[in-house]
Amino acid sequence: MKKIIILLVAIGFSMTTNAQKTISGKVLEKDTNTPLLGVSVMVKGTNKGASTDFDGNFQLQGVQNEDIIVFSSLGYLTQEVTVDANTNLTVWLEVNAQKMEEVVVTALNIQRDKESLGYSVSQVSSEEVNVARENNVMNSLSGKVSGLQITQNNTGVDGSSRILLRGITTINGSNRPLVVVDGIPISNGGGGGSAWGGVDRGDALSDINPDNVASISVLKGAGAAAAYGSLGMNGVILITTKTGIKKEGVGISFNSSFNTTEVALTPDFQNEYGSGAFGAFAPINADGRPVLDYPFSWSWGPKMERQPYTNWLGQQATFSPNSSADPYKDFYQNGYTLANSIAFEGQSEKGSFRIAITDENSQGIIANNTLDKQTFSIRGSSQLTENFSVDGKMTYITSKVKNRPQLGEGSGNTALQLSLMPRDIRLNDVANNTINTNGEEIKWNLDNTFNNPYWALDNAGNFDGKDRFQGFISTKWKINNAFNITAKSGVDYISYDYTSFGERGAVAVSNGLGSYNHDSGKSRIWNSDILATYTAKIADFNFTGSLGSTYRNESSSSLNISGNDSKTPNFYRISNYKNSFSSESISEKGIYSYYALGQFGYGGYLYFDATIRNDHSSTLPKENNSYWYHSENMSILFSKILGINPNILSQGKLRGSYAKVGNDTSPYRTQAVYNIDQTVTLPYTIGSISGSLPSFDLKPETSESWEIGADLGFLNNRIQLDVTYYQTNTTDQIMAVPISGSTGYSSKVINAGEIENKGYEAQLNLIPFESDNFQWDLGFNFTKSNSKVITLNQGLESISLGSLWTASVEARPGQEFGTIYGNDFLRDNFGRKIIGNDGLAKRGDRVALGNINPDWYGGFTSKIRYKNLTLSTLISAQVGGEYYSYGRGYRLFFGTDQRSLVGRETGIIEEGINEHTGFTNEVVASAFLKQFTDIFANEIATDLIIDATNVKLREVALTFDFPKTMLRNTGIQSASISAIGRNLFFLYNASGDIDPEGSYSSGPTSTAFEHSSLPSTRNYGVNLKLNF
Amino acid sequence: MKNIQKTIRKTVVALGILLLFVACENHLEDLYDNPNAVTTIDDAALFTNAVRSLFIGTSDNASSHFAGQHAHYYVAGSTWRAPDQYGDGFDGDYNSIFNGLYGGTIRHIEEVLELTTAEGTSNKVRNAMAHIIAVLGYAKITDAFGDVPYTEGGKGKSQNIVQPKYDTQESIYKDLILRLTNSITILKTADPTMGYPNSDPIFNNDLSKWIRFANSVRLRLAMRLRYVDPGLSEATVNQCLSQPLMETTAHDAFMIETEGTGNAWFTRRTGFPSVKVSNTLIDQLQGTEDPRLAVFVSTNGNGDYSGMVNGLTDQAFGSSDFANRSDMGLPLASPDSKLYVITAAEVWLLRAEAALAYDNDPVSANTLYRKGIETSMNQWEVAAPEITTFLASPAATLAGNNDEEQIGVQMWLALTPNFFEGWSHIRRTGYPMIPIRTTDNLSKGATNGIMPHRFNYSSFELGSNTTNATEAINRQGANKIDTPVWWDKN
Repeated sequence: MKKIIILLVAIGFSMTTNAQKTISGKVLEKDTNTPLLGVSVMVKGTNKGASTDFDGNFQLQGVQNEDIIVFSSLGYLTQEVTVDANTNLTVWLEVNAQKMEEVVVTALNIQRDKESLGYSVSQVSSEEVNVARENNVMNSLSGKVSGLQITQNNTGVDGSSRILLRGITTINGSNRPLVVVDGIPISNGGGGGSAWGGVDRGDALSDINPDNVASISVLKGAGAAAAYGSLGMNGVILITTKTGIKKEGVGISFNSSFNTTEVALTPDFQNEYGSGAFGAFAPINADGRPVLDYPFSWSWGPKMERQPYTNWLGQQATFSPNSSADPYKDFYQNGYTLANSIAFEGQSEKGSFRIAITDENSQGIIANNTLDKQTFSIRGSSQLTENFSVDGKMTYITSKVKNRPQLGEGSGNTALQLSLMPRDIRLNDVANNTINTNGEEIKWNLDNTFNNPYWALDNAGNFDGKDRFQGFISTKWKINNAFNITAKSGVDYISYDYTSFGERGAVAVSNGLGSYNHDSGKSRIWNSDILATYTAKIADFNFTGSLGSTYRNESSSSLNISGNDSKTPNFYRISNYKNSFSSESISEKGIYSYYALGQFGYGGYLYFDATIRNDHSSTLPKENNSYWYHSENMSILFSKILGINPNILSQGKLRGSYAKVGNDTSPYRTQAVYNIDQTVTLPYTIGSISGSLPSFDLKPETSESWEIGADLGFLNNRIQLDVTYYQTNTTDQIMAVPISGSTGYSSKVINAGEIENKGYEAQLNLIPFESDNFQWDLGFNFTKSNSKVITLNQGLESISLGSLWTASVEARPGQEFGTIYGNDFLRDNFGRKIIGNDGLAKRGDRVALGNINPDWYGGFTSKIRYKNLTLSTLISAQVGGEYYSYGRGYRLFFGTDQRSLVGRETGIIEEGINEHTGFTNEVVASAFLKQFTDIFANEIATDLIIDATNVKLREVALTFDFPKTMLRNTGIQSASISAIGRNLFFLYNASGDIDPEGSYSSGPTSTAFEHSSLPSTRNYGVNLKLNF
Repeated sequence: MKNIQKTIRKTVVALGILLLFVACENHLEDLYDNPNAVTTIDDAALFTNAVRSLFIGTSDNASSHFAGQHAHYYVAGSTWRAPDQYGDGFDGDYNSIFNGLYGGTIRHIEEVLELTTAEGTSNKVRNAMAHIIAVLGYAKITDAFGDVPYTEGGKGKSQNIVQPKYDTQESIYKDLILRLTNSITILKTADPTMGYPNSDPIFNNDLSKWIRFANSVRLRLAMRLRYVDPGLSEATVNQCLSQPLMETTAHDAFMIETEGTGNAWFTRRTGFPSVKVSNTLIDQLQGTEDPRLAVFVSTNGNGDYSGMVNGLTDQAFGSSDFANRSDMGLPLASPDSKLYVITAAEVWLLRAEAALAYDNDPVSANTLYRKGIETSMNQWEVAAPEITTFLASPAATLAGNNDEEQIGVQMWLALTPNFFEGWSHIRRTGYPMIPIRTTDNLSKGATNGIMPHRFNYSSFELGSNTTNATEAINRQGANKIDTPVWWDKN
């Protein structure tokens, strides 16, 4: 009987072997048991297949016994299972340790295996941006990615940063890379003040909350970015934010960080000579105060030897050095940043969600400069039906910044005031004497530019409010396993409100009348796109093809009201001002695009991608408003083809890429218009014409670029080397060329010029030691990028790209882009200075004195983990490159700089030859006259060009991960605490007492100029992460 | 059933995509036009702008920072004093002056000239009036720099000329005179309704005043040629004398700037860097007991008229008691003070000079000279008895031994506060005499102590219009502030 039963069962089995059946099951990650979403489940040799849902479940119909089912997913080792009687399978996929990091997010948010890419991509993980947390997430990337150059300005809390990917390619453009958050390109504008003052209102990227970042991909060349069309011309930074994932425990994570900011680098001041001129005290005015004007309010007086004198307030005092040689250290305080973030997340069969709130408070080194920012973020997705899913996000950011510091030559720039104030003046006196009995500012110098810094602290200020909304809705319709359509619409909306005011009583503020300014406005970028994707696999040949279309709309509007002559004190509303002015403007631009992308793969070792795209832009004349681009990328894994032993050469890939990208311009540059001037009292209508001439036949500019590179991995990828060479030529550049004023106009929009940008990048990653308890990762990156001006418009010798005092950055044909020009000394044929009979040098020709581009720059990262302790270090380096420091110039001729001590008592014999006799100069000139004449009167820039070479210890973080055993019964799933330091100190700084990153703006050529910047700062702090 | 649903869904998606594209096409058209401005305009609005620029220009940087100090009207404090020290390290200033002169009056008047000759908007009367404004605009540019772009100047928009060639000052002056002559001819028979009835801030469209104005400017230009082309100068002067000229203060070309804080001298007088009246001016007015002293100069804290010495070295400046020197007078520097382009007083004095130079008629010269002084005093509302007293003094009569200098000095006074014209006048006539600076307490600057004769072309101009600017320098002489312009022979 028993035997019969066995037989029957055996027959039954053999019958089912031949019958088709349905298999279901679950795919989990090995070790963690986390369900895996989107795992491809295919019957080998057929195109029958399915993929796993949010809970890792799958169902496969029409399977026969002994079919082989292939489970594959990016980042995991592929597993094959032979079908047997079991119809409910549980499969554990093992993480592919080598490949895990190789999955990268590419254009249009497509996840790709890095080895299939024909261009260079760098990916940065969330840890790298949210442990040593920065207000501006971009600053965390500094030194970590080859090809990416980030310059962080010292402009107060929430300042902007200059960001360049692979150098400069366009003369007039911002050259800033496109920033895409979760597939939606957002506003990426720069910020900053000007040489003449203003404040840095931050850039659009400072609103990205580091706590919400899951990963950052840097797509460097146009080849990588062609899918974004013209927007991607300067490369793309793709930010993926966190989505809800299934976690052990409740699913709450908490991140708290606190750090203090302290003044790190200040100019070297002399502390021996006080106010006066030519070694003597200033004459005393009828009001009992000394002459507070050039040159007597400068530090060219007698040596401070405790002699009695009349100080700047007209009081009898002792002429003695300050107890502290550094007014910056006395004036500026320690600032801080406190950020707390809490996130709730979860995932179920039908969907996932994540809600996060972050609160951030900062105080700058000027006590009243504060930031108060909250970010609310909701992300959710749902699998509505088997084939239809939606994903969406809403982020709301609200921030208030008070009293952004004035910069450059601004009358409220505290650094300028402090650095020029005569060295005998006591800061206490300045603080205690801000206003006289008439309500007027008490000044140490009559000049409008030079003010009492404490008056400004009390009586001038600004207040910024900004609300920003970012969100998207995305749907995916899976028609079948091979064909799907996604549609997405996302918006980045900014509304801002900036006010600034100056109280009555300071000549610098509307001639003593007091002033008020209020800007408000909004800007919106709206992207909507649809993409249909078809995938096919025929034998060893893989193909993915997509067709898509995007509409992008950028609009903005602004309103300004300003007034002067206040009626009552301490009240800052427009009604309080006798004179008021207003203006408004609106701007809108639209681009629609169609594109097709194709990816071909063969045998797992040969990949080819192609993109073609057509854009229509409203900013170009109707007849020229359509333009095409394309890109081709190729990747060959030669190590696989040649069958090289993976233990020796674990990865060997050659890649190449070519792309042609077009670009449009800003709105309304192709139309001649008349403005109607706003007038209040005139009985006439005043019409005016803008100084910028339009172009009626503007065409899109074109950028052609190519790159080749290799990705090599040795010894099971313990040594990894990526190298790339790239070249980009941008022609027909759209630029507003400054033209001779004698045309009646100041600039003309034209298509002209060619810039060639080329360079090398290399990234080397090493794992010198690796064991369960101890691992050491080392990374080096290196970038050399040069841009050269090949041609400008015919007959045009130079385009000025920015200037400070009389130094300027100019584009000249045949010269390197970013060359700094300025007046040199007059020299003979042997280069010797020609000296006048007064012993002073003469002004010579305007020549190239330096260049903003470094010879190379790079970073060094080290991460050492011992058991639960991790120490990571980042050192960044820039070698070569120059800038012009008018800040130093000012300190020199005001006599406050330590360098101004030379020749005070003896005079200076300028090295050179006499202009009349030709003999070596022997005439002694006063040190004061030399500095003043060279720098101010003769506007000679030569001595103020400074080498920007520096090596900086940028980041140190020591992290302790609490062992699970310690957390048992606490409800805490995981926890870590980090001690961090950022921008700690210079290991080498050729500039000495100036931070070469001390620029006042973040434009492409901003690093050329330094003018009395706020001192650079360093941060220390702790960061605590808890997961419940 | 399921298939039908699928078909419907697909159709909806397809239609949606199609609609999206169609909407986009139309949408782009809407976005092409600039919503912040207009594409057509009545040229009157541009004419008013050009005229206003011309008047506000009399207080521009060229006048206030440079000419006022060069012509020894005053001394500015602090580093604003550098031009008074005859320095030339002002590349940025030269550039902004050059660009400002072309970008203000010239840019807008060139557009008016285009519109008033274009089909549909052509208007001979408006065109003739616009030419007069253009002449004044260009005269200042060439007086400041020498050779400048003229025939191709200001044509960036109308003729797409981005690198205009330079014309010689000689050819510019000859053409300017011609343009005025043409305008006068047209305006004499013009219908006023075709002018600028509601947009003329100078004469409220009174064409007879416009004729006097144009003719008076022509006289100024004619006299400018006295030492360089006496033939043309004399012929043009005779032409001018045959037509109406400005005769009373009612004919003066002035404007009051009312927007913002009004007359720029108001803020300059009290702001920083403050401006203190030159001892050259105070000594002249005090020495002759000229009643305009109280008009042009304020007393200092002690109630005295105390002038500042021009050209002190930094060391000497320190002990000059600058802060206690006299400010400019309030009639010159109040928010509603008038800005003058040309006055009847200047015209009488030009005629006095012409009578001496071309008619050899000292008697008429004296009459015209006294008329000039009287008109100037009327212009500043000096009380009649004071005028009578002054006219009885020796300074108000040409004695025959020093007539040229007397006329020159009175012209210098009468041009106040049109300081730029004052500087041009000194460059042309040499009066009042500005001694070469030789003593140790005076700066020799970049000119060895000689009053500067022009502004330099800026490095920006040399870079953006290289060939043409270089050609001009080769023709005119080194690009230095002591290179005289063509008409400057004294």
